[in-house]
Amino acid sequence: MGIKNNLILLKEYMKIALASAMEYRFNFVLQSITMMLNDAIWILFWWIFFSRFNVVNGWQLKELLMLYAVVTFSYGFSGFLFGNHHNIANIIAEGKLDFYLGLPKSELFHLLISRSSAFSFGDAIFGLVLGIISFSIWQWPLFLLLITIAAVISISFAVIVGSLAFYWGNAEETARTLNFGMLSFAIYPLPIFKGFVRVLILTIIPAGFIGGIPVELLKNFSWQWLGLSILVAIIFFTVAIYVFRKGLKKYESGNLINVRV
Amino acid sequence: MGFNKYVEVGKISLSNSLVYLMDFLAKSLFIGLIIFIFINLWKVVYGDSTSLIDGFTINMMVWYLVMTESIVTSQGKLLEEIGEEIRSGNIAQSLNKPYNFIVFKYASGFGNTFLRFIMTFTIGAIITLIFVGGINVQLVHLPLILLTVLFALTINFLMMALLGIFAFWLEDARALHFIYQKFVFVLGGMLLPLELFPQWLGDFSRVLPFSYVAYHPAKLWVMFNWSDFVNVIMNQLFWIVIFIITIALVYRICIEKISINGG
Repeated sequence: MGIKNNLILLKEYMKIALASAMEYRFNFVLQSITMMLNDAIWILFWWIFFSRFNVVNGWQLKELLMLYAVVTFSYGFSGFLFGNHHNIANIIAEGKLDFYLGLPKSELFHLLISRSSAFSFGDAIFGLVLGIISFSIWQWPLFLLLITIAAVISISFAVIVGSLAFYWGNAEETARTLNFGMLSFAIYPLPIFKGFVRVLILTIIPAGFIGGIPVELLKNFSWQWLGLSILVAIIFFTVAIYVFRKGLKKYESGNLINVRV
Repeated sequence: MGFNKYVEVGKISLSNSLVYLMDFLAKSLFIGLIIFIFINLWKVVYGDSTSLIDGFTINMMVWYLVMTESIVTSQGKLLEEIGEEIRSGNIAQSLNKPYNFIVFKYASGFGNTFLRFIMTFTIGAIITLIFVGGINVQLVHLPLILLTVLFALTINFLMMALLGIFAFWLEDARALHFIYQKFVFVLGGMLLPLELFPQWLGDFSRVLPFSYVAYHPAKLWVMFNWSDFVNVIMNQLFWIVIFIITIALVYRICIEKISINGG
């Protein structure tokens, strides 16, 4: 019952997102193209870098393209379907959560899907194209699995840091810094991080699992690392739901009257 | 008229920004994180050797980045602000006041911008001192370098203001901001000095205005040289004049269109 209901809700929200994209066609296309151009300029940066240095601890431009395929596709995909995951702190702090509380759906799921970003759509398309260039047809099932794992981890992480707002009130800037901090670690070659930093990005700031580890797995598959990735996704998913529900009990709505347009 | 009113706006905005110190700090810490990531990257590239890469030691390479990041990120979201004011029509409130909207923005933003520059530079410097070490800079050169930095901040402001006005037609300042930023990041030499570029792309980027925001001042900071200094200052002034003229023209057209729309 629960899951099916939520999927129907997701489908309805997707319909709304597409309808609004069609209504504001120019802006939708502009924002999507902007994001693709943005990603392309990052690729230009790495092309310049690798045309000067060739290899960095076993990583070449090829690995970098794989990394960008993984990160842009999973980020784009999660931003398009669950576009509110970076706004949770703001929604809590401004009392906008009220809307979701009165409805007979999972608050967290409903909150996450009720926004869809055109910038993310551009990311997803870019990742898709890069994925087609970088991976053979045999690698695609694994690629898609790893994308899903990465999306679960990054959305869960965003829910956890966004939920800080239940406790601190204004946690918007902290949440943003942590989210972009994780993304920043994810878009550089994994082998450059050693010692303490490496431990950090493979544990509490799981940047490795949304970028570098998927690339290593697509290059040299290993059951241990795949298992570990799935485990990390499950842990973050569980913690996210726990932290959000626990925080929700502390939630005091504001007296701000919000109009959802 | 006189210039005092602009100085006063600058002062007010500076005291406002002190209130938002924590917010500032979070943003500067984020830049510190990026510098930290690049320190990791450069350490791998340089290995254990004390070698030079295109004339740069690892210390120079990292201090170069501290300077470029501090300049480029200090301007905040000016482009989106101007774009939003023009698009929403709020600019109408500024039009009947006895000041020029763009000069007002420059003066009111400069306090913020300079404070953010100092803050980011300080955090970047601390991280670099801890993980890489210091750099040799002669004290007498500092005021001159600071002058090129002030010009760099001004060029950055002018380019953002110009694009902000264009948002009047494109109606999406955020998209423009995104792309502008990336041009400065890469072609402006914020992330990599232009010496590391393939020859043709380096030569091309060197003459573009973006490099006068990041590459040229930061190169002087790590490798000061008198003839370069004179050259950079002259070119910066050239771009400042070009952009002021362009903004004046485009702004006038834009304002006329606003009056047609009824404000």
